[in-house]
Amino acid sequence: MNVFFKLGWFFKERKKQYIVGLLALMLVAILQLIPPKVIGYTIDEIGLGTLTTNSLLMWVGIILLSSLLIYGLRYFWRLMIFGSSNYMAMTLRKKLFLHFSKMSPSFYQQRRIGDLMAHATNDVSAVQQTAGGGVLTLFDSITTGTFVILAMAITIDWRLTLIALIPMPLVAISSTYYGKLLHERFHIAQSAFSDLNDKTQESITGIKVIKTFGQQNEDIDDFKRLSSEVVSKNMKVARVDSLFDPTISLIIGISFFLSLGFGAKFIVEGSMTIGDLVAFNTYLGLLVWPMLAFGMLFNIMERGSASYDRIESILSIPVEIEDKPNAINERPDGNLIFNVNKFTFPGDERPSLKNVNFELNRGETLGIVGKTGSGKTAILKLLLREFEGYEGEIIFGGRRIDDYRKMRLLESIGYVPQDHFLFSSSVYNNIAFTNPDADVNQVEYAARLAHIHEDILRFTDGYKTVVGERGVSLSGGQKQRISIARALLSNPELLILDDSLSAVDAKTEEAILEALKEERSDKTTIITSHRLSAIQHAHIIIVMHEGSIVEKGTHEELMELKGRYFEMYNLQQLEQLVEKGGEVK
Amino acid sequence: MSKQTALSGKEQRKVLFRLIRYLVPHKKAVVIALLLLILTVTGDVIGPYLIKVFLDDHVAALNFDTNPIIFLAVSYMIIQILNVIISYLQLVKFQEIALNVVQQIRIDVFSKIHRLGMRYFDSTPAGSIVSRATNDTEAIKDLFVSVLIAYVQAAFLITGVYFAMFLLNPMLALFALVLLPIIFLVIFLYRKFSSVVYMTMREKLSQLNAKLSETLSGMNIVQVFRQEDRFNEEFNEINDQHFQAMMNNTRLNAVLLRPVIDLVYFIAIILILTFFGITSFSTAVEVGMIYAFITYVSRFFDPINQVMERLAFYQQAIVAASRVFELLDDPEIEPSQIESKAEIKEGRIEFNNVTFSYDGKTDVLKNISFTVNPGETVALVGHTGSGKSSIINLLMRFYEFEQGDIIIDGKSIKSYSKKELRKKLGLVLQDSFLFYGTIESNIRLFDGSLTDNAVVDAAKFVQADQFIEKLPNKYKQKVTERGSTFSSGQRQLIAFARTVAANPKILILDEATAAIDTETEVAIQQSLEKMRKGRTTIAIAHRLSTIQDAEQILVLHQGEIVERGTHQQLLEQKGLYHKMYLLQNGIVEENVAK
Repeated sequence: MNVFFKLGWFFKERKKQYIVGLLALMLVAILQLIPPKVIGYTIDEIGLGTLTTNSLLMWVGIILLSSLLIYGLRYFWRLMIFGSSNYMAMTLRKKLFLHFSKMSPSFYQQRRIGDLMAHATNDVSAVQQTAGGGVLTLFDSITTGTFVILAMAITIDWRLTLIALIPMPLVAISSTYYGKLLHERFHIAQSAFSDLNDKTQESITGIKVIKTFGQQNEDIDDFKRLSSEVVSKNMKVARVDSLFDPTISLIIGISFFLSLGFGAKFIVEGSMTIGDLVAFNTYLGLLVWPMLAFGMLFNIMERGSASYDRIESILSIPVEIEDKPNAINERPDGNLIFNVNKFTFPGDERPSLKNVNFELNRGETLGIVGKTGSGKTAILKLLLREFEGYEGEIIFGGRRIDDYRKMRLLESIGYVPQDHFLFSSSVYNNIAFTNPDADVNQVEYAARLAHIHEDILRFTDGYKTVVGERGVSLSGGQKQRISIARALLSNPELLILDDSLSAVDAKTEEAILEALKEERSDKTTIITSHRLSAIQHAHIIIVMHEGSIVEKGTHEELMELKGRYFEMYNLQQLEQLVEKGGEVK
Repeated sequence: MSKQTALSGKEQRKVLFRLIRYLVPHKKAVVIALLLLILTVTGDVIGPYLIKVFLDDHVAALNFDTNPIIFLAVSYMIIQILNVIISYLQLVKFQEIALNVVQQIRIDVFSKIHRLGMRYFDSTPAGSIVSRATNDTEAIKDLFVSVLIAYVQAAFLITGVYFAMFLLNPMLALFALVLLPIIFLVIFLYRKFSSVVYMTMREKLSQLNAKLSETLSGMNIVQVFRQEDRFNEEFNEINDQHFQAMMNNTRLNAVLLRPVIDLVYFIAIILILTFFGITSFSTAVEVGMIYAFITYVSRFFDPINQVMERLAFYQQAIVAASRVFELLDDPEIEPSQIESKAEIKEGRIEFNNVTFSYDGKTDVLKNISFTVNPGETVALVGHTGSGKSSIINLLMRFYEFEQGDIIIDGKSIKSYSKKELRKKLGLVLQDSFLFYGTIESNIRLFDGSLTDNAVVDAAKFVQADQFIEKLPNKYKQKVTERGSTFSSGQRQLIAFARTVAANPKILILDEATAAIDTETEVAIQQSLEKMRKGRTTIAIAHRLSTIQDAEQILVLHQGEIVERGTHQQLLEQKGLYHKMYLLQNGIVEENVAK
């Protein structure tokens, strides 16, 4: 019952639909009482030989009329109640999506996308069932149950009603019990199935190893074993599942038996007619569903409640990075000062940044180099305000970055991530990402700067070509360049390239860098890279190692130093040479 | 409609019949289940008849002889109880058959997966192969368990009910036949509309989920570019469309599902009452007879409701089944071997003018020829994409080649049995894959003949015992999710031990490029050396020690062998190998750039 209170806000919101729907449901429950009674009357008149054409027409007409009314009302309440539950599903999905879109990267680091998806699918449909089927079952079993019992007791015979009802609670009890058992066993069967799923997954990922050791047959045997397990667990489900119908029909059978036996006695005594008995039995048939439903209700509610709790717990996670109360509604521009003494990613033990200080004047380019995990990306994440809680300050255009409204800060930044993620939409839409209304010139301009325009024209549908899973497969370099074009579209004050030229060949890289230099002479750029050629031209280069700056200066200065940078540079020169050496052959 | 459903009616029937053919091995069980079903239906039909007799012969006639009444009551109860038992057995039996059929399909799919060539795995995402074996077969299970069985039960019950009605009153039964076309019409209409409405709903749902999952994966980009509002709008648009589709489905179900079947039920009641009413104007009518008919008619509407509710599901399951059959019929089979008794004794390997292409267009190996003498090591060196891995792929028979030949001990590689090849050729992969289980099961794999001592010996041989002995459960230590709890070096040592335990004649090494933790580095180096002893080895080498020790080094570039010789010879050539060597060692000569 608890879950209905939790969902109270929703029932209030859809008050009208629920009230009207439940009224219709109640009317159906009442109208349902008519046909059995009419059948009884007709049978009595036939038995006594008093039936006339007119009375026959009347009885048949009443049944027809009430059944048509029932049909109409049933359509109506389904629309109201199931419609509301559909609405519930939509509302919850909307809420979840909105919430997801506010969650910070650390939220996504801690959770798997599959789990988040499950909340928006399985949990939502469990709650939907509660708001639809659950409400219906609760209300219908109570109203139909009450009305039918009243009709039997008042219009036919209260003694017979009591007798016939004796076995009925068993229906509710057994359906609750079986339902619970079924749910448990179903869970076990599901987990056997997911074992089988894991096994298949593993075999397919490890297919080479299995082939190498010639263990196909053994692996198939293992699969057989697991799939037999699935069969036996499912048989356990089947054994409970198959109990449902026979048990119910036995209980009903006993009830019928009792009503017939005692009914016959009452007929003989003259307190009942045969028509009454037939009507009574038809009523009895109407009681089966409410009893059954009442049993199932507990299971529906239990599941809905658990699912709703899970959804609530996701929705109650607070938004991590919020604007200060009096944040400035201004787009930052100007010089950048980065002074971070210490920063540790949440959940990590060791700090990712230690005493990282640099200043960058407007129009300058900063190059950051270092191994994976040296802290390059951490610097960028702080600039983007994806994480906070560092010691020190980051100043952009004369103010701390957290003094601005986050939206405005981000407006000033064009970011090209390491893992070039494109959406399954057209190339055009992917480039015009920040501004879907951007005109062709703007998009093409950005594409030209990123040296992807020519490539795009070669695609089958040009700019309309769909990328992503369902579209053309692009090379890593093409994806990177589209990502660059996407960031360039808004002509950002600060452009951040996070190792975004790694899959682009040397010539193209040079051309892109040259174009950026020309176009962005009064704008600031930060480039991180493994390949030194990408940052060689930068005004300042910092070399990161284990979270600290170990070398800082221009390319020339760093080469003079003959340190880490110098070593890396020479090694990469050689590497390039080998690549070319191969081409000569 | 045909746009929505990819399968035509004819194709659907074909799939269905192919599914039904899976029942053939279970024909005995099917016959038993059907017999039980007939008994159940008989019981269902006799019950109301006994009540009819009771009402007409005793209640209405006011004849209360105890004996016949007791006889009636006892037989009614016996039939009820028997019916409960038999219908329980029948329901269980049908489910058992369905589960066994699905298990067979699953095993067929899984076995087929193992017979597929690597090409198939290159072109098909792993996720979708897994779906074929599990989710799609699960849909087939639901098809059998909740659709087909319900159909058969409904068909039998309806037949039984009509049979009884014909026995009781042929005239009325004939009239009642009118109900059948009405019901079929409702089913037809529902099927027609639901196939569109239901499919649209499914489609919208999958769009909704796709949007959600894509946005969740790309949330970082969405947020950095401040597009949260737009994505919320876009999501809500699909969410709205899905809601509309659900509403259409709700509407359709409200018009054509349970409510309309109930309406037909009332029509049936009206039919019965009118018939008996009119009959009663001329002759006397037995009240029990009316009762029996009303009961019979009400009996067969329940299964019809069940059948209808599962109609929408049917199509989905058929589509899933067709995907499963597609995989079962896929012609991309792994290279075949001649089943011969030939054995690999020496381990001499020759490549003779082997040319190979993955896609039939660009050759990734061009005229590759080389010989490895028994016990010797050949190191393959070259850049990514130079063809090193392709040589190993051919040697392992992962892919079929057409031009040239690979000769082992004087015979074509194709003329050895699969078993012999797998026994004598041992491959150590760059990315050491560990299976779910224990360390022991990962070394032993499925080779039951391997003693515990042999497992320990193998681990000792590659010095994996050093870290294994330190684990709380030693060899029984659990390995979870691809061995993520072990370092990459440890994983590699376990993979080495696995190969050593199998004791192959020819060793094929794909050395890991990634830097390995210094602790295991030494162990790996030494183990590699020991493993190569007495074995013919072909290695994709990254380690200087492996390369230097090799009797022969092949430098590959764009599918061709561009340099070959020993380490010293190649260094003297001052060619590509020389440069790579410098690079590998980080030895920087001031003047390389020249």
